[in-house]
Amino acid sequence: MKHLTKITLSALLAAGMMSGCADKTERIDLHNDEGAQVMGLDYRDFNQAAAEAVQSMLMSGALDKKSGDRYVLAISRVTNDTMQHIDTDQLIKKIRVELLKSGKVVVTTAVSANGPEDAMSKQARELRNDEEFNQRTVQEKGQMIAPDMSLSGKILQRNVAMDDGKQQVEYYFMLSLTEIKTGLAWWEGETIIGKRGSGKSVSW
Amino acid sequence: MKRWILLAAMALFLSGCADKTSYVKVVDDSIKGDIAVEKISERINSESGLKELQVLGENETDKYMKLRYRIVWFDKDGFEIDSIAKNWTELPVYKNANFTIHIVAPNKNAVDYRLFINK
Repeated sequence: MKHLTKITLSALLAAGMMSGCADKTERIDLHNDEGAQVMGLDYRDFNQAAAEAVQSMLMSGALDKKSGDRYVLAISRVTNDTMQHIDTDQLIKKIRVELLKSGKVVVTTAVSANGPEDAMSKQARELRNDEEFNQRTVQEKGQMIAPDMSLSGKILQRNVAMDDGKQQVEYYFMLSLTEIKTGLAWWEGETIIGKRGSGKSVSW
Repeated sequence: MKRWILLAAMALFLSGCADKTSYVKVVDDSIKGDIAVEKISERINSESGLKELQVLGENETDKYMKLRYRIVWFDKDGFEIDSIAKNWTELPVYKNANFTIHIVAPNKNAVDYRLFINK
């Protein structure tokens, strides 16, 4: 009986220790994240690149329309040339949101380099001559607004092996704002984020 | 009589200071003696109509410092304007050298700001 109690107590103690050792999941404080850096790209890097790009664009005057109106911006191709599976919208969406809030720009979702972001603008027009729909509620021809500007870019990764066995990973966020009428880039920006860590770290 | 006029003038001056909602603040006590905020300049960009803020400071130590800053903007009614600049931005500060923080407001409604500098 004594032996059985000992075994039970030991088992309980072990279970208690194991549950104590298990890593707890914590929610990240996005406003003051003091967590360790990672070799790959995380949201802090996208925040920094987007903030720098927006500040640079607003300061450049490239978005100041003489009439005081807003420019219509189309999102062109933004290439992910890194070894990571990232959606370039992680960067572009932040920029779009800030530019929209600035009152300088409005983004079209009807035209983009990869086809319309929201196909409904065009599809809703297919209701013309459909007798099931009140034709007064269907959009008339010639209402959509063509873009004045286009935002394009590339996110580039370069891995460098260090002499001490460490690895250096450089990320380049390169963006261009082109006036569609002339094809001239009115603004260009580059943010570089460099990380150095163990050569065993995986950055993809 | 002169004393009363002086007191009234002082009270007006002090109330004027209390109304100022824009400021630059070094948050961490441990770096308050290491960096100095020397000049704060503001202007409205005539082209964009956006407020610009430039803070000139100095690292008074013999060490390179990696600081951070964030800015919160407010409209004329004192309501906060959400912007990406609310997040911490890295600020490299070289030893015994000046540093500059140059920020543009997120939109024309942004009139007041609070800029925080931290380590």
